Amino acid sequence: MHTTFYLRRLHSLCGLLCLGFFIIEHMITNSIAMAGPEIFNGVMGMVEEIPKPIFYSIEIGMYALPILFHGIYGIYIALQANNNPQRFGYLRNWNFTLQRWTAWFLVVFLIWHVGYLRIYIKGITGTPISFELLQNMFQNPIVAILYILGMWAAIFHFCNGIATFCMTWGITKGPRSQNVICAISMMLCAGLCLLTVAFMSSYFVY
Amino acid sequence: MPDKVRFIIERQDGPNEKPYNQEFDVEYRPGLNVVAALMEIQKNPVTVDGKKVAPVTWECNCLEKVCGACMMVINGKARQACCALVDEIKQPIHLQPARTFPVIRDLLIDRSVMFESLKKIQGWVELDGSWDVKDAPIQNPYTAQVAYEISHCMTCGCCLEACPNVGPQSDFIGPAPTVQAYLFNLHPLGKFDAPKRLNALMEKGGITSCGNSQNCVEVCPKSIKLTTYLAQLNRDVNKQALRNIFNF
Repeated sequence: MHTTFYLRRLHSLCGLLCLGFFIIEHMITNSIAMAGPEIFNGVMGMVEEIPKPIFYSIEIGMYALPILFHGIYGIYIALQANNNPQRFGYLRNWNFTLQRWTAWFLVVFLIWHVGYLRIYIKGITGTPISFELLQNMFQNPIVAILYILGMWAAIFHFCNGIATFCMTWGITKGPRSQNVICAISMMLCAGLCLLTVAFMSSYFVY
Repeated sequence: MPDKVRFIIERQDGPNEKPYNQEFDVEYRPGLNVVAALMEIQKNPVTVDGKKVAPVTWECNCLEKVCGACMMVINGKARQACCALVDEIKQPIHLQPARTFPVIRDLLIDRSVMFESLKKIQGWVELDGSWDVKDAPIQNPYTAQVAYEISHCMTCGCCLEACPNVGPQSDFIGPAPTVQAYLFNLHPLGKFDAPKRLNALMEKGGITSCGNSQNCVEVCPKSIKLTTYLAQLNRDVNKQALRNIFNF
């Protein structure tokens, strides 16, 4: 009974709420790196203080399951598109295409990011995530660049997703409201991308 | 302005044949449009190399941008050939069939999939039945203008050709048939079947396949505000889903 409809709407909600929470949380914690190693490590320690049952439920319920669903169903959606910005080079069509290109990049990037830092380093070796650990990781310029690109891709995907979410749920109907939300989301995208550069550079300053 | 206009036409001898390009020169005249040029080529189907070939097949009917039949890809863009003035487009002029649809021959395509989609969304008003037929109800004057605008849709298929989510890789019925559901939902008699149409749009290949690329509204030759009505239908299907869940 309308399975496609409910799956699509769930995909949209997971994207806005769970991916949104994932990105905002990363932006906040990483921004603390700008305050220096001691404060960053202090906050990381506080995160460890969160009772494990709560921590794991958030990780699984808010991150793992919704993002896995969004990713897997998203691949199915992306495969239904025949991107044509070369023929129809309108702004929204470029955003449509970029939404899918960033999605492909993010699938690979997130498998690497979560697989290495969360599952291998934190989970298997039991090493806590610290300023020094990240600083060491980013000594390799390729890793640092891929991480900046990964953040930018996620930020664009999320911000453009806000604009399309508003269309999909019928919140913005006419071209004026759609353009306003599109402009605000692109400004948010630019702001968060600059913030990424700022906190990433702090690993090279301290 | 040169005396000759060069046309590069993508031809195809049959539905499963390989496409190939042929070039034709057409005598320039003021006000020449693509359909008129194709008629000249039909009269004298000789390529620029002097080879006599089979005349180019295409479809046209009203010649005034009302019927939608002559939709093709002109210089990469889906549009009506009858209102594509040679003076206003870049030369040489590239003509291709709209490959979102099955190609029958040359520029002639099979657009019956849109008719099937209109059947799916119940793109008609149920007039006759076992009930009394009274005087015709009046149109709502507040929505009549919108209904008039959407009724301009001539099922030409430009929006389907431009939409990245329509094609053999997807089952999306496309913007034109989707938005027709809104037209019939506005109708004073058609609105009784609105839940049927909205439920049809919630099926696979319905409105949820829209990816908001918004190419449709850019290419619509009748300037129908397709994205606005798609957003309105998104609202309507969300409400319909709540009605379905809570059974009211």
